[in-house]
Amino acid sequence: MYSLSQSIAPSTPISAIVPTWAWQPWSPSDEEPWNEARVQLMFRRGGFGASPQQRREALRGGPKVTLAILKGEDRSAAGRRETFELDSEAIGTSVRTGSSSEGLAAWWLHRMLQSPSPLLEKMTLFWHGHFATGAEKVMDAELMYQQNQLLRRHALGDFRPMVQAISRDPAMLIYLDSVSNRKAHPNENYARELMELFCLGEGNYSEQDVQQLARCFTGWEIRRKMFRFNPYQHDSGLKTIFDQADIESGEDAIDCVLARSAMPRFVCTKLVRYFVCDEPNAPDSLIAPLADQFVRSGYSIGEIVDTILQSRWMLSQWSVGRKIRSPVEFAMEWMRSLEATTNLEHLARMLRPLGQAVFYPPNVKGWDGGRAWINSSTLIGRSNFVVDLLGDPNTRFDGKSLEQWCSDQGIQDHKSWIDWLNESLLAIPLSDSEYQPLFDRDNEGAASASRANALITVSRIPKFLLS
Amino acid sequence: MKRRTFALGSASVAAGIALDSALPGRWMQSVARELNASAAHPTNDRILVVLQLSGGNDGLNTVIPYRDELYLKARPNLKIDAASVLSVTPEMGFHPSMKDMADSFESGRLSVVQGVGYASPNRSHFESMDIWHSCQTKQERHGNGWLGRYLAASANERDSTDAPGLHIGGEALPLALVDRQVQVPSIASIEQMRLKKPGVSEPTSLMNEGPDPVSDPSGLLGFVSTSTASALAASERLEKAMATPDQSGDFPSTGLGERLKIISRLILSGLGTRIYYVTFDGFDTHANQPDAHAGLLRQWSEASGAFCKSMQRAGQQDRVLLMTFSEFGRRVSENASQGTDHGAAAPMFFAGPELATPIVGEQPSLSDLEDGDLRFHTDFRDVYATVVQDWLGGSGTAAVDDGVERPSRPLKIFRS
Repeated sequence: MYSLSQSIAPSTPISAIVPTWAWQPWSPSDEEPWNEARVQLMFRRGGFGASPQQRREALRGGPKVTLAILKGEDRSAAGRRETFELDSEAIGTSVRTGSSSEGLAAWWLHRMLQSPSPLLEKMTLFWHGHFATGAEKVMDAELMYQQNQLLRRHALGDFRPMVQAISRDPAMLIYLDSVSNRKAHPNENYARELMELFCLGEGNYSEQDVQQLARCFTGWEIRRKMFRFNPYQHDSGLKTIFDQADIESGEDAIDCVLARSAMPRFVCTKLVRYFVCDEPNAPDSLIAPLADQFVRSGYSIGEIVDTILQSRWMLSQWSVGRKIRSPVEFAMEWMRSLEATTNLEHLARMLRPLGQAVFYPPNVKGWDGGRAWINSSTLIGRSNFVVDLLGDPNTRFDGKSLEQWCSDQGIQDHKSWIDWLNESLLAIPLSDSEYQPLFDRDNEGAASASRANALITVSRIPKFLLS
Repeated sequence: MKRRTFALGSASVAAGIALDSALPGRWMQSVARELNASAAHPTNDRILVVLQLSGGNDGLNTVIPYRDELYLKARPNLKIDAASVLSVTPEMGFHPSMKDMADSFESGRLSVVQGVGYASPNRSHFESMDIWHSCQTKQERHGNGWLGRYLAASANERDSTDAPGLHIGGEALPLALVDRQVQVPSIASIEQMRLKKPGVSEPTSLMNEGPDPVSDPSGLLGFVSTSTASALAASERLEKAMATPDQSGDFPSTGLGERLKIISRLILSGLGTRIYYVTFDGFDTHANQPDAHAGLLRQWSEASGAFCKSMQRAGQQDRVLLMTFSEFGRRVSENASQGTDHGAAAPMFFAGPELATPIVGEQPSLSDLEDGDLRFHTDFRDVYATVVQDWLGGSGTAAVDDGVERPSRPLKIFRS
């Protein structure tokens, strides 16, 4: 048996991880010190990487301070927030009236890159994949923007008001055809996905439940881009869902779905997969303490995320390299670590071939994640992305050239640059067989070219795909 | 004990012979027997192109029982009546936007397999699609698909170094093509497969490093390493193939048209790949179906028509088969949104070579529904097994891998 303080080996099977151990807050010990690797693990999983300055603060401060930085509750965040929100609003206003399909993505990428609260953006991205809604069907930038703000408002709040709100969200109603759900012959689309994809998971409801639930949502329409309840199209008879025979309204039906015991397990399993490891799915026994906490806290998402991010399991060596970076994580971590900025609409366009265009999830299930991110085209896409980004004259590093930025960081020669990249961009350090050739093939040209080429080379090593 | 029925390969005889499945212990032996049998098969160079209609195609408005009173009654707003249907038999006609496919049908190079599905149909897009890809339910599944298993089982017979299968499309690699022992590249577009080389140094060599010798407890490191190697190989091979003259001819400039054109170009360039996979999304017509569905069917029909013509011009029509399926059909009764909800049984389509019979099995009865949906009489796994055995010359049992023993020719779809 494991004692409570003992850690787990990287090769421990997930079924052998002890639940009471896993979710205790991590604390430093001689074998497991608070170090650079843990700082970066926490920044990768809870945000989109961090600048050298933030990493130094986090290393000094410990996990609590790191979590505060991720949430934007640190001292420096307060000063930056106002300027950031003004910038974001300015971009948002221009893209909502614009016609470019990349505009909204540009607005959101700016938030991911610059937000003083990266965890909030990370969770908004989680919910965008969970309550996936595609702009190609909604065809209204304003509604997509409003949905994104709704997800952000609830991202770390309580799950119940979130589900109630998203069920009335105009973009969602359009995407899942609820706008035309009439009592004469209910449309089952939203009812099915509410249970299958949003709350319970496949296999935790019957076809009968789908049909009954669809009746509850009849008459939920939108008028002039706003939710409207149309009593003339609502089937006001009583419906039976999960043996509960007295359900009438859509609101009650949602509460009835949320009360199922499958719900907390379903949501917590997905959160663990998002933060800790792509595969395999954690066994129910490992999810149970989180699910219990979720219920006790009144379905508080923020509480669960706090528990996961500070946990022994998440911060153990076991978790390192257990996730494949999503394309957005890949790009944002690369950029945040190097304090890079570039033309945002161009950035949004460059991201498409990597397989994750925000606001355009592949279907209502969102992105599958994990191994599904990887195929020949997306891999070539990731390689080309780095070349394109470095080749774009708009790309600057804290406002400077890459060479100047390196120099200001105290990186003066090729070796210190390779070592910095190895320490800052990779979850698993380079092996000797990867490290040595970076010197053999070193090009003796201009320093700027060799800095960029080394960066491209390291970014293309397969290991770079892991988080 | 499972019971499963087999459709016979004749338009007049729908379904009938019930066959008790083998027990698990016995099917292991039968897999081994099949594997040996397939090794003795003469290897052929036939190609299978799978076209997946995602979202659940309304089969009833694709090949239409336009004289059936029950059909006309169930679809007051969506029905395609005798006046507009492209009738090909006294009972059946194609949707009016499917001219190319109706023509192929009349020339004997398109077959409709009616009433395809599986027992206890699942109406979730994702679960049903996974069932079609893996041939297994969620509980039985182990992360691979029927074509992946076929490619793994036939790996020793391959004499080409080209990718055994190719997925053409920007979405994630379909589960059907997955198996731990094979790497199937995904090609979003030719442009996206071109690796940019930044000049001075030689950065790709490190991308080709094998899996790290250090421990890889999660297996992810090995996975990303082999995937990268396979991506680089595919990128290079593709560049070579696309440097040959384009003999594919005209294709509609739709997404599907472009993807099928890539496949045509690759086949005609002499690529040794035998399985191609392409998806076409948008069939989830819960609302405002008439225009949306007509547009989808037109794109499908025109693109597959162009593909078959392209193969014919090059004299390749007898070795390239286009197979089309969807994860389910749609509810018989329309809903109040001018649409249809998720259903069950639906037709499959085979096009390209001369086929044994124009219609395999009967249109499922509209008077004998299961929860408002059409009942299947032909298990899709029997169709797959037939394709693998009769068309590709492989082991259908190893590909389908569902523990059911089948006769050597479950369905008569192909001439030989």
